[in-house]
Amino acid sequence: MGDVHELPRPRIAIFFLAQYIGQPVCFVGRVEKIHPTGKLFVLSDGEGKHTTVELSEPLDEEISGVLEVVGRVTNQATIMCMSYVQFREDKSPFDLELYNEALKIIHEFPEYFPFG
Amino acid sequence: GGYTQSPGGFGSPAGTQAEKKQRIRSQNIVPCTVSQLLAAEQVDETFRIRDVEISQVTIMGIIRHAEKAPTNILYKVDDMTAAPMDVRQWVDTDEAGGENVVVPPGTYVKVAGHLRSFQNKKSLVAFKIMPLENMNEFTTHILEIVNAHMILRKNLMAGSRAPQSFPTGLGDAGGYGGGGSLPVNGLTAHQSQVLNLIKNCPVPEGMSLQELKLQLHNMSMSTIKQAVEFLSSEGHIYSTVDDDHYKSTDAE
Repeated sequence: MGDVHELPRPRIAIFFLAQYIGQPVCFVGRVEKIHPTGKLFVLSDGEGKHTTVELSEPLDEEISGVLEVVGRVTNQATIMCMSYVQFREDKSPFDLELYNEALKIIHEFPEYFPFG
Repeated sequence: GGYTQSPGGFGSPAGTQAEKKQRIRSQNIVPCTVSQLLAAEQVDETFRIRDVEISQVTIMGIIRHAEKAPTNILYKVDDMTAAPMDVRQWVDTDEAGGENVVVPPGTYVKVAGHLRSFQNKKSLVAFKIMPLENMNEFTTHILEIVNAHMILRKNLMAGSRAPQSFPTGLGDAGGYGGGGSLPVNGLTAHQSQVLNLIKNCPVPEGMSLQELKLQLHNMSMSTIKQAVEFLSSEGHIYSTVDDDHYKSTDAE
């Protein structure tokens, strides 16, 4: 898995990417496109913005729906993925827009939701 | 006053005396981040996050690791705010099946438990671990964390400014018997506000519901009535001339 999983990984939306260059982050988004090589995919956040997620090894499975990616923000403001998890949506769809709104709140009140 | 029972057993084999003390002190179950728990300061048996006392907490995160031992299951639960936290669930060796099922890594769970510290390492002793079926609960949880900690802190600040009604620290004599009074006294923000007003009312027949509604602009009458009902059933207040007037049971 790698060392980032022992560090705080702020939950961010695409709006925040530029502020976290080089840092470990946690990004939740919906799968929009997967590159044929399987080493790149595009996720959208709750505001409909898109970001590219890169993998060091190609995907070995189908991915779809909402993904939670743990990784580092690259200099190009893409995300270098260390691990990902699919959010289950078998019982209820995940409200990504609401999640985005929640992110704004936790970033506004870091004293009540500290990362690290 | 009474206190609400925590759901489920405590699970920890720690002495019952310590458990009883904890039960009286913090009846709130506070949603927290792992980072908050790791930063909590411990004084004797008490933990505080930015001066707010906590004991029973809930966290939500993903299971990174699960290890089964004869008497307990040790999980590592990760909510991204820090390194994964150790969560121990004691297995009831008398019962077959049920409790002994290990939740697999990669599952998002809600954990309810008690914060512990041993040799400066924090962990949780869980009395309930529930896999999340609806990930929107996770969004709600992160909002509840901000809300709960903000309200608890505001209660604390309000308490320290009010004369004598609330204690200003550990060991102060307060309105509650046994164990000493504490800033987080098991009441919600609404209940605390209502109780405070009733306590400070100098009128012999006490405070009326109408008067409470006038003073508490942000609360609906039904919320006020609910608070009054709870406070009355717990013994904090009693009705006087009629069911609309209440006085505090604490002598001021």
